[in-house]
Amino acid sequence: MRVGIDPTYPPFALADDAGLRGIDVDFAQALAEELGLEAQFTYFGYDGLYDALTTGQVDVLISALVILPEKTKDIAYSIPYFDAGLVLIAPTSGSPVARIANLDGKILAVELGSIGHVTALELQRNGSGFDIRTYGGVSEALAAVGAGEAHAALVDSISGRLYLREMKSQDDLSLAIVGNPVTSEPFAIATRIDDRILKAKLNEAISRLIAAGKLTTIIEHHLD
Amino acid sequence: MRAFMQPSTRRFSSIRRANIGYGLRFLCISVIISLIRPSPQRITFGPPQPVITNQPILGVHTRLTDEVEEWKIQRTLQMVREMGATHIVEFFPWAYYQAEDGSIAWEHPDLVIGHARANGLKVIARIGYTPDWARPPDTPLTYLDQDAYDEFAAFAAAFAERYKETVDAIIIGNEPNLSFEWGYRSTGPEDYVGLLQVAYPVVKNANPDVQILAGALAPTVEPEGSPWAINDLTYLRGMYEVDAASFFDGLAVHAYGLTFPAEAEPAPEILNFRRVELLREIMVEFGDETTPIYITETGWNDHPRWTMAVRPGQRINYTLAAIDYAAENWPYVKSIALWAFRYPAPTRSYPDYFTLVTPEFMPKPIYDALKEYTGN
Repeated sequence: MRVGIDPTYPPFALADDAGLRGIDVDFAQALAEELGLEAQFTYFGYDGLYDALTTGQVDVLISALVILPEKTKDIAYSIPYFDAGLVLIAPTSGSPVARIANLDGKILAVELGSIGHVTALELQRNGSGFDIRTYGGVSEALAAVGAGEAHAALVDSISGRLYLREMKSQDDLSLAIVGNPVTSEPFAIATRIDDRILKAKLNEAISRLIAAGKLTTIIEHHLD
Repeated sequence: MRAFMQPSTRRFSSIRRANIGYGLRFLCISVIISLIRPSPQRITFGPPQPVITNQPILGVHTRLTDEVEEWKIQRTLQMVREMGATHIVEFFPWAYYQAEDGSIAWEHPDLVIGHARANGLKVIARIGYTPDWARPPDTPLTYLDQDAYDEFAAFAAAFAERYKETVDAIIIGNEPNLSFEWGYRSTGPEDYVGLLQVAYPVVKNANPDVQILAGALAPTVEPEGSPWAINDLTYLRGMYEVDAASFFDGLAVHAYGLTFPAEAEPAPEILNFRRVELLREIMVEFGDETTPIYITETGWNDHPRWTMAVRPGQRINYTLAAIDYAAENWPYVKSIALWAFRYPAPTRSYPDYFTLVTPEFMPKPIYDALKEYTGN
């Protein structure tokens, strides 16, 4: 199975002196094993991934790709294998915030210009009564929650989980993801639109990996 | 036979009357709806607005190719002007505009160029993407071979002639040292120079004032023999070795800073902003020191996890330092255009962190910093 991958995007794929590693790498290898194949990786930048697939350079793209409706003329996506949607992160003790509806009159931290910021503005326009405080990066927004400057932060789940993992490594459990994801941003494998059999086999293999708990193990190994 | 026909004829007549009745009602309702529905918003270019800036070499690469809503084209170019950039770099895909019969749909480029002019912006136009009628079946849009060079040149000439008041320069192709930008073929500089040789006289004949820019080479340290790319320094040297110098007026350069500060020393094995100086050395080596350089893509990315990104504050500092550095040290550089102003829709990945404003037109801190930097 020829896999196109962008190896500059940890924790999904990173190639350096230690080799190629990450969630997408382990996932691709597990999938290939399920299908009785061997995963062969070819590196591309993000801009070259879809062209590489449509011109037959690779069989699949496994590269933290969000499902983009505008691509579906030429591309078929598998069932999702990860959700990078937005999550709320709040203090673990004494926080009144368990979901967006609890944020009325509270301060929500976001990274300026991020999807979290745009979503927060949309929620405000739709009647949510929180104040938005912007920060230069995800880490700064989360640190503000830890410092009590904001009641919660709205961040993408990858950044949030990695930040919490870093805190956990320092025995700091003062923040956590609360409630259900606020938005959904599913990652999926991309195949050529005509490769229906391949897509069906990939979907079956993904389902088996999910059912066996292998996909969760891979993701948690890299994120939690 | 007639007896059997009459009922059915009556039924037909009845249905026809009913249809006419419905038709009249539909027509009346349609007329009423058309009268009460607000007419489509008409956007005019408006009187020309001047760009106010104290850094005239600053430009920005816009992404209006896939932007179909006119108010977004207008808003983009207003914000570019308000930021203090004097020009934009924009992609105009030949494949989107010209039909096999030769007719050209100018509507979209007319909008982009018209709003650019209204905002006092000059345009560096990148032309590429081959229509399906001008390339073999099952080849990608980036596939352009010598059988279609004449057609490409004719389109570029028509473009240069039509927009001669606003389009100062035309870039022939994009990053030809990458195989995927050359239709996934093994390529060499001689192929690209062949295109320049055909296009240059035709375009200059149509608009003698337009500057023909070559290259827009992708910075890469891909090893020799790689099927994916040719080192940009090697490629430029190869262009000069097959006498490219007579077929372009300026060299377009892509100069990304990646994780390095703007002032970081250049070296052949390192990709950073001052790689421009290595390209310039090759131009001088071949006696082409009077040909200017246009940096048509540059910038830093501040995604929180991409391995080639920097922190948001670093991105601002490095970007402003790069513009200063180019203005103070590189008299041969005529443009420094940042990639990219705004994407029409998010990629939901790290490329989004190259932009200056979000798809919703929300300015990022770097936009405000640039605005202040230019005195706006």
